Amino acid sequence: MKPYAYFPGCSLESLAKSYHLSAIEVAQELGVELKEIEDWNCCGATAYFPVDELLAYTLVARNLAIAEKEGFLDFVAPCSGCYKNAYFTNAYLQKDQDLAEHINYALEADNLHFEGTMRVRHLIEVFIDDVGLDEIEKKVSHPLKGLRVAPYYGCQLVRPRKDDEDVENPQFFEGLLSAIGAEPVEYASKTRCCGGSLIITNRKAALDMVHKLLKDAAYSHTDVIATTCPMCNVNLEVYQNQVNQEFGTNFSIPVMYFTQIMGMALGIQPGRLGIGKELVYGATLRNM
Amino acid sequence: MSERIGVYVCHCGTNIAGVVNVAEVSQWAGEKLAESGVVVSRDYKFMCSSLGQELIQKDIKEMGLTRVVVAACSPHLHEATFRNACKGAGLNPYLCELVSIREQDSWVHTDKVAATEKAKAIISGGVARVTYHEPLEPLHVPIHPDTLVVGGGIAGIQAALEIADAGFHVYLVEREPSIGGHMAQFDKTFPTLDCSACILTPKMVQVGNHPNITLLTWSEVTKVDGYVGNFEVTIKKRARFINEDLCTGCGICQEKCPKKVIDDVFEAGLDTRKVVYTPFPQAVPNYPVLDAPNCTFFLKGTCKACEKFCPTGAIDFNQKDEDITVQVGNIILATGFDLFDARRIPQYGYGRLANVYTSLEFERLCNASGPTGGNIVLRDGKTAPKSVGIVHCVGSRDQNYNPYCSAICCMQSLKFAHLVHERTGAEVYNFYIDIRTPSKGYEEFYQRLLEEGTHFVRGKVAEVTDAARQSGEDGKLIIQVEDTLIGKQRRIPVDMVILSAGLEARHDAKEVGKLFGIACSADSWYIERHPKLDPVATMTEGIFIAGCAQGPKDIPASVVQGAAASARVMGKIQQKEVSLEPVRATVDQDRCSGCRICNNLCPFSAILFHEDTMVSEVNPALCQGCGTCVAACPAGAISGTGFSDEQILAQIEGLLLLNVKHLELVPG
Amino acid sequence: MTAELSFSKEINNLMYASHGKPIKDCLQCGVCSGTCPAVEFMDHSPRELIGMIGADLKGDVLASNTFWSCASCFHCTVRCPAGIDIADMMYALKRYSIWKGQYQEGLIGPDFSEGFVKMIVNSGRSFEPILAVTYLPKFSARDLIQEAITATGLVLKGQMPLLPKKIKRLKNFQQMVRRIIPIGGTS
Repeated sequence: MKPYAYFPGCSLESLAKSYHLSAIEVAQELGVELKEIEDWNCCGATAYFPVDELLAYTLVARNLAIAEKEGFLDFVAPCSGCYKNAYFTNAYLQKDQDLAEHINYALEADNLHFEGTMRVRHLIEVFIDDVGLDEIEKKVSHPLKGLRVAPYYGCQLVRPRKDDEDVENPQFFEGLLSAIGAEPVEYASKTRCCGGSLIITNRKAALDMVHKLLKDAAYSHTDVIATTCPMCNVNLEVYQNQVNQEFGTNFSIPVMYFTQIMGMALGIQPGRLGIGKELVYGATLRNM
Repeated sequence: MSERIGVYVCHCGTNIAGVVNVAEVSQWAGEKLAESGVVVSRDYKFMCSSLGQELIQKDIKEMGLTRVVVAACSPHLHEATFRNACKGAGLNPYLCELVSIREQDSWVHTDKVAATEKAKAIISGGVARVTYHEPLEPLHVPIHPDTLVVGGGIAGIQAALEIADAGFHVYLVEREPSIGGHMAQFDKTFPTLDCSACILTPKMVQVGNHPNITLLTWSEVTKVDGYVGNFEVTIKKRARFINEDLCTGCGICQEKCPKKVIDDVFEAGLDTRKVVYTPFPQAVPNYPVLDAPNCTFFLKGTCKACEKFCPTGAIDFNQKDEDITVQVGNIILATGFDLFDARRIPQYGYGRLANVYTSLEFERLCNASGPTGGNIVLRDGKTAPKSVGIVHCVGSRDQNYNPYCSAICCMQSLKFAHLVHERTGAEVYNFYIDIRTPSKGYEEFYQRLLEEGTHFVRGKVAEVTDAARQSGEDGKLIIQVEDTLIGKQRRIPVDMVILSAGLEARHDAKEVGKLFGIACSADSWYIERHPKLDPVATMTEGIFIAGCAQGPKDIPASVVQGAAASARVMGKIQQKEVSLEPVRATVDQDRCSGCRICNNLCPFSAILFHEDTMVSEVNPALCQGCGTCVAACPAGAISGTGFSDEQILAQIEGLLLLNVKHLELVPG
Repeated sequence: MTAELSFSKEINNLMYASHGKPIKDCLQCGVCSGTCPAVEFMDHSPRELIGMIGADLKGDVLASNTFWSCASCFHCTVRCPAGIDIADMMYALKRYSIWKGQYQEGLIGPDFSEGFVKMIVNSGRSFEPILAVTYLPKFSARDLIQEAITATGLVLKGQMPLLPKKIKRLKNFQQMVRRIIPIGGTS
């Protein structure tokens, strides 16, 4: 298979290191070559757009241009925030010549030029579409029988709408979980927002949103919530204690990256998947 | 030029005169175009008035005019007026040309000087062109007195009855085993709360018994040839596997049939029916139909219970589809609507959450001959709901689905609210964006529902979920919505949710339209000739539309359109013949090379190809004079009467003022 | 003669790249506010805010905390029947607000965003602990204690980054930024 431009994003080097570790492990196991692009910069997440739109797109465009320069055709981001920014920057610049010109003028300062020759993918997309569920199923050595997993898509993976896909009730994550032998649950809030950066800028709101997500997960008798984004994982996992404090609940639902869960099914050692670094650690998982 | 041309420039009040200097234009035409044949040039305030027309007529008679050019509004408006005026004075109407200096000049420009010069050029073009006009006679074709009505819903039934009662023969073709359409599925109709079947079935019975109506159910039109007054239609009568001459409608076959399938047409999927069945008790005709793809005999070769028990031996497994061809003069399409598929809005839970119903499903629930005998109960078949939420605008008024309003859902939602109040003690919530109750008795109906204690929440429902978050929500369907009138997001738990799904055009409307040669809008509703002034005619002569096929509407409006279409048809039949515009294409057979490019290009299928002589010929009755073939013919063998190459090239030269000597160049 | 732009048009002009539908297309149906997961923490629902923009209540809109409580989850955008990109509008309001320096007192959002931008311009990468100065001072005592507990937990589990990173071609990067918005040599 051809190599993919891998854009880890800032959180995968800090708070979400286990996502990075498990992503690399699983990719290797499935024969997906992820090559980190050189000297990438922060994509700006949701913090740049409040200040300047053009600058926000420029930051992202720099990374796209670097990957293009290195000859890649697919730009893969494991973080939904980076993915959304990259996807739409790529799309707008391809469509709007004036915008591309303006931004290319800035990119020249780093000897870069955006061509618009790449596709932007989320890591989960690459596994499902490029490797294929049949292939993945074949490689599963420890099917996660009876493990009830809530497929938490989060918001930026599916929205804004890209084309004709189902943004309200997507099923691809469930498909992946079934392929690795787990039991995806009916998760009512599977595409609801975790609050994202509101955890900093409006903590009350974010905690309330996380509370609702945990409640809905509990309603579906979830063993573990699978995430596709570091922001979601942090909000649901790191702040679960604070939610309990705030709302008088006693949630103790493990939250893991989908790559960690995939890794377990593929028989990779938990340590290599960054498992054990969570603040919430469920008994079920200990038994796997 | 030996023509004597009269030029008439209209002021149209200030519409033209406010921008174009009409007096100057008129004088200019009289002087500068004299060499092109203009013998008189006048301007007048309102040419279309009787005085204005008389001006023209006087000049024709006294000055012996042979051509007339009127510079005024668009031909769409008054071409007929001026042509008739000329005819009245003894000049062939097709020797009169109307050029637009309003829509194409004064209404679109603000620079008065430039607009005046443009008007001169336009008139010059008209004068140059009209020289090449020839006197033409409209075509007269006889009208066959029979009519075809496609679609046996309320609109089609009304149209058929009106024509048949007037003494003319009608073929009524219906795709389902019985006529009645969607109206037969309803329980009560708004705002009178008449029982739908009670007001519909008398009409259905009339149709079934009418000596002037040939009822062809379980049938479809497969081919339409011909033109207004002379259509040849091929209808496929699908095999019912029942011999209609022997069947008494006793129903024993239906009783004895051992196999049940889900009835997703009449019962909207809520109930089952037998494989040999009549869709509902009051079906017209009352002969059942055998659903061959699901029949055990056709699938496995066994059973034949119906045949065994039929007392008259009316079951005929060897029956074949039959193609019949009929001649009709006019066609009315009244093919109705399909319901918006609520599964396209996953957040409303239809198909996933058991107690979410669509409007048609709920109608069946309320109907006394429906799956629950008219009891409003949940999917378990026994529990009565204690609270019901009715969601307006499902799939309508929404750029993500259908942008239009479906016209009937507000009233329908109010009707549902009333039925729930009447038959259960449940709390009823209606979630709306606007309450649209325009017709007679409709606003009063809304008042009634307010008095009955319905909770109206103004807000488009965001989602319907079963995930309980607080007490009172367990086991319920929770409707999440912003109550915009108080500015708060609310979660309202209910037992049952009814989605007032929008109306859509039939999913094969485009294909059916092509069969008949009529066009669909972007939303697939059939296009009327004029949205305000001619809603039942189409651009194709002899083909009319009525009912929801033309756009969403309620029953009274469907009835009105059915009657209107029938009146137009009867008007045509009374005239015994129709006169067609002679502006048509003709093929110069000497120049035609037989390449047949024009044959497939014609949007009206008006070009025939003669295999023996290897040339194409235009059928003048079908041709609408669009000019596509004229432009496409590589040999230049096709020209248009009324728009010949000569005429058009002359007009272009005229526009460029090439026919005017001593051109005045205007500064700037 | 200069034509004065309505507030609605001003905001629409800031919704550049998405080529959004005009805000005035709103039919006030409320599905955005019915969907919004953060609406309970907004002093005006998104629908109300759009109404206020249409009514030219610029001061009230800028004094609102609505768009600062937006998580940009885009759920409103995909459901809006008029096709308005509401989440993008929230971003446009943030940009307008920061540009004019006019916003509600005590909000963390504006300082956080500006701090984030400065941090990236200085190093090219994000480093959470630096950002702490933009929001910790505004936290309540209870929240501060909770944050300390959470942070400790993260450090103990090795999840907290301890050293900031810088990209290699930082000088070029800063040049690139300067070609978009004029910033000082060192910020």
